[in-house]
Amino acid sequence: MTAEVDTEARAAAGGALLRVSSDKIGRLMDLVGELSLSVAETVGSADLAGLDLTDFEAAAHRLSMIVREVQDAATELRLVPVAEVFRRLKRTIRELERETGKSFDLVIEGEETAIDKLVADRLYDPLLHVVRNSADHGIEPPEDRRAAGKPEKGRILLAAAQVGSEVRIRVADDGRGLSREKILKKARERGFFGPEEEPEPAQLWKMIFEPGFSTAEAVTTLSGRGVGMDVLNTTMKDLRGRIAVDSAEAQGTTVSLHIPVSLAFLDSILLRLGRQLFTVPVEDISEIVKPAAADLIRVSARGGQEMLQLRGVLVPVCRLETFYRGLPPADKPLSDMVAIVFNTAAGPIAVPIDEVMDRQQVVMKPLSGALAQVRASWGCALLASGEVAIVLDCERLAAEALR
Amino acid sequence: MTQTQTQTPPPNGGLGQAMAAEADHEDTGIDTMYLTFPVGDETYGVPITLVTEIVGMQRVMSVPDVPHYIRGVINLRGKVIPLMDVRLRFGMAERAYDDRTVVIVLDVGNAPVGLIVDGVSEVVDIPADRLDRAAGFGGDGTSVVQALGHVGDRVAILLDVPVLVSDVEVMRPAMADA
Repeated sequence: MTAEVDTEARAAAGGALLRVSSDKIGRLMDLVGELSLSVAETVGSADLAGLDLTDFEAAAHRLSMIVREVQDAATELRLVPVAEVFRRLKRTIRELERETGKSFDLVIEGEETAIDKLVADRLYDPLLHVVRNSADHGIEPPEDRRAAGKPEKGRILLAAAQVGSEVRIRVADDGRGLSREKILKKARERGFFGPEEEPEPAQLWKMIFEPGFSTAEAVTTLSGRGVGMDVLNTTMKDLRGRIAVDSAEAQGTTVSLHIPVSLAFLDSILLRLGRQLFTVPVEDISEIVKPAAADLIRVSARGGQEMLQLRGVLVPVCRLETFYRGLPPADKPLSDMVAIVFNTAAGPIAVPIDEVMDRQQVVMKPLSGALAQVRASWGCALLASGEVAIVLDCERLAAEALR
Repeated sequence: MTQTQTQTPPPNGGLGQAMAAEADHEDTGIDTMYLTFPVGDETYGVPITLVTEIVGMQRVMSVPDVPHYIRGVINLRGKVIPLMDVRLRFGMAERAYDDRTVVIVLDVGNAPVGLIVDGVSEVVDIPADRLDRAAGFGGDGTSVVQALGHVGDRVAILLDVPVLVSDVEVMRPAMADA
């Protein structure tokens, strides 16, 4: 409870905390975003071409540095510890004990981890769902646990940690674990895998997040209706988050939610394909390669699917010109392009583009109205040049393009 | 601006009452005001309450995965706004943009959208009793035309903006005959 004590101590120290409406902070964030765009526009103005600008350039550099710091400071304003969310879950777990007749040891780690208030406000519902699943399906009734040689009390771990620009929240239980047999059977019935296909565990566990996919034998008041999963999926999509599941039979299940710390700014790499600009979060890129003609394989028997041979591994090529409607058709051989390799849950994919342009901190805007139809995208990004780029979501791109 | 309002005159009262009536008048007034604009030989109108601003044609950046009548997006002071070419939306012939071409920025359910139109005409007031819903222009949320409005002896085609920005098909001449 360090964060709480800390807050109280500071409050006691006398007015060190300030209550500010989130609207005001939102406005500040918007302005800071616009400021950073205008500064970049001014510094990069075409009017300056050919002038001798020694002093100007030094000043401009300093200005850009300050703007970057202002941006970071503004982002920090909205960060709150996840402790608040964890506290609410703690109460819920006590209620679950009453409803299920099981008892749980709740272990909390890393509650001081900071996260965007907008994200924190939306985390409770998806986490509640995961916790309910653990309490209801994961952890066995006391008598079964005794028989299995486990302590009667089930253990639920709620842990948060920051890794790079992501916050990872784990919900782990020491229950019965996921049943590969049952889930695989159901996934095959639903046509996700062929009858002979033996998917990787991580891929199979993901099935439990498909809408309406519940293998619970009894639908209880708590869970098993497949409704919560929709909440979880939608929220994670909105928050640009990812879900990972790990499970071992009889030992328990761990569900991890990976969420960006802040939704406002995105550290990204800018890519150009023809006249269309795309950008991707830096951490999504696994590598950038210049393919040689000899590394390319074309499979005409499967719709002309291209494969890129990368250190002996065949990586499917996903051309954005083919995937997206309304882009000029693909006309360049892959060997004239640059391939961006992403490691996705569906395996690695290579996305060919014309040029890697820049690394930029961009302001993300949601795709609303007429733009909501753009597939495999997190939103659009406003670039320093004033241009707009589509932020690629490589996970969804892989899932949809390789289907 | 045409003044065709039939407002009951304020009852004999103090200045305060007259001002209240005036304010009331303004309240009911804006809901029946339409911004009109020409598209070819036709005059169209959108409710003024939905219009946030009118700007000149800007540099359009294309976006994939959108219908052909969405020409792309513009960056309007940090807001990304999709632009719809109404000529293409209505299945009319394309026309090169010129210095009269403007963008009417509308706010529909918190999502901004810009209409590329040949120009703007004027703001007119068309009270409910001057709306013509003949010939199936019902305003029932399935047609991009909400009603035909009489403005003097002219007719303005009033658009149902939420339907306009949705994917609902615009009735083609052949279909209208059927």
